[in-house]
Amino acid sequence: MKSPLWSNIFKNWNSQESEKVTALKHVPVFDGLSDKELDEIEKLTHERTYQSGEHVFKNKAPSEGMFIIISGSVEIYLENAGDKNILAELNDRDFFGEIALLDTKPRSAGAIATTPSTLLGFFRPDLLSLMERNPALSSKILTNLGAVLAERLRKTNELLPKSDN
Amino acid sequence: MDKQKNYIQLIYRLMVGLLSIGFLYVIWPYISSVLLMLVFAFLFTTVLLSSVDILERKIRNRGLSVLVVTVGLIAAISIFVGSFATNLADQAGGFSQRLETESFMDDFNNFIDKTKAKLPDFAKGGGEDVDAASKLNEVVGNVMSTLLTFAGALGSFIFNMIMVIIFTIILLLNYHQFKKSLVGFIPNKYFEVGLRLIYNIEQQVSNYLRGQLLAATSVAIMSIIGLYILNFFGANLTLVIFIGIIAGLANLIPLVGPFIGMLIAFAVALMNNLGNEAAQAHMLFNAIPSPFYILDVALMFIIVQQVDNNFITPLLVGESVGLHPIMVMIALLIGGTLIGPMGMLFAVPAAGIIKVIGHEISFVTKNAHLL
Repeated sequence: MKSPLWSNIFKNWNSQESEKVTALKHVPVFDGLSDKELDEIEKLTHERTYQSGEHVFKNKAPSEGMFIIISGSVEIYLENAGDKNILAELNDRDFFGEIALLDTKPRSAGAIATTPSTLLGFFRPDLLSLMERNPALSSKILTNLGAVLAERLRKTNELLPKSDN
Repeated sequence: MDKQKNYIQLIYRLMVGLLSIGFLYVIWPYISSVLLMLVFAFLFTTVLLSSVDILERKIRNRGLSVLVVTVGLIAAISIFVGSFATNLADQAGGFSQRLETESFMDDFNNFIDKTKAKLPDFAKGGGEDVDAASKLNEVVGNVMSTLLTFAGALGSFIFNMIMVIIFTIILLLNYHQFKKSLVGFIPNKYFEVGLRLIYNIEQQVSNYLRGQLLAATSVAIMSIIGLYILNFFGANLTLVIFIGIIAGLANLIPLVGPFIGMLIAFAVALMNNLGNEAAQAHMLFNAIPSPFYILDVALMFIIVQQVDNNFITPLLVGESVGLHPIMVMIALLIGGTLIGPMGMLFAVPAAGIIKVIGHEISFVTKNAHLL
């Protein structure tokens, strides 16, 4: 079996820069960023590999950032008294956990890899250091992040009357 | 059964831990100097990293950015050290020429006699008639032999500095890759906590360094202003800007540092004013004898230190590491006892890092079920 520890240590031996940038381009949080800016973001991201069934994070775990799926699939779930409620099944180019870029509250759901997966992590410490070094770029990301969350809220609002009925 | 397995695991981990500590103790003498070089390189990297990153964003070439920043810094340091050494050598040359003249020796003997005459009887010593000028010659001879020993130490210092510069360049070139490789070792389970730990350590170190550099700059500026004020009252001090900058930089070493600038100022005051009747007879506040303005210089540096210790450093540095003043003192004492002035230099940031690591370990222990 391929160990995630070793694959994480030696992943840089086979550089996949263009693949990472392509994945970043598909994420609305990085909309409108130039290639140069995407290169800078790519340097801040961390590629991680997960085995099938391995937790990316558990519900209520400390949260530090968002993940983008380069390959594989991830299940977002909530567990209530032993019952597992699957909220979403995410695949290539999907992203999750973006709220953690804004606050330090624990995760509101769990995420588990359902197939061997390669994820790209973008974390709050890196965003904070980017804010110090390149405020213009980080403000673009924060505006996009605000737009993503506003869209989520709008959709939730639209669902509310339906659930009331 | 599970409990027994846990105990075996605990004993195993304890043994591995003890063996590692023992191994480290044995190899420490061989690796300590290299580790110290790496620590210095890391500190220089932390200071220079943002400049390199900003330049790289503009010229799109990491290697060139590192080259420009490091060469710029080395050039600035070389110009400073070079011109300081030249000025000091000129001053020392002039001083030694004056030492050789007979009248100067007489001046010096007269000064010693006058000082002795002013002293109360109990402080005059055993009444031995000492030829102060020949004593001074002996001291100069001792200084020359010390200088030769110093030249040897300087060679070793230059070698260490070159190694630190090489390490710094390598770290600056590959800092982000090194950091990513380090992060790569963190298991998925502890990944986010590990990232937060690394970020907090970086913040601790860079906040501390930023605070220290600002404090050093303010000490340098205050010392320069103070020395100019003393010159206004006739202290006849030269190399004022150099003394100020050295006082500021030496201030980075807690407790011992502040005296370094003062000692250089004493030397300059002595060299410039020896033979000057007015300076020899100078009284601080027209009340306390202060030959060569020595007490004036000391008072000025004490005032600068008090302003720095009570207002500037607590404001710029104290808050950055978030340590109680008693903890800072204990850290300084431990660092000083372990590795001397170097230990004092690194004691406070090291204590800050240990505090961050302790905080994260406690967090992980409490929230292990969530990871």
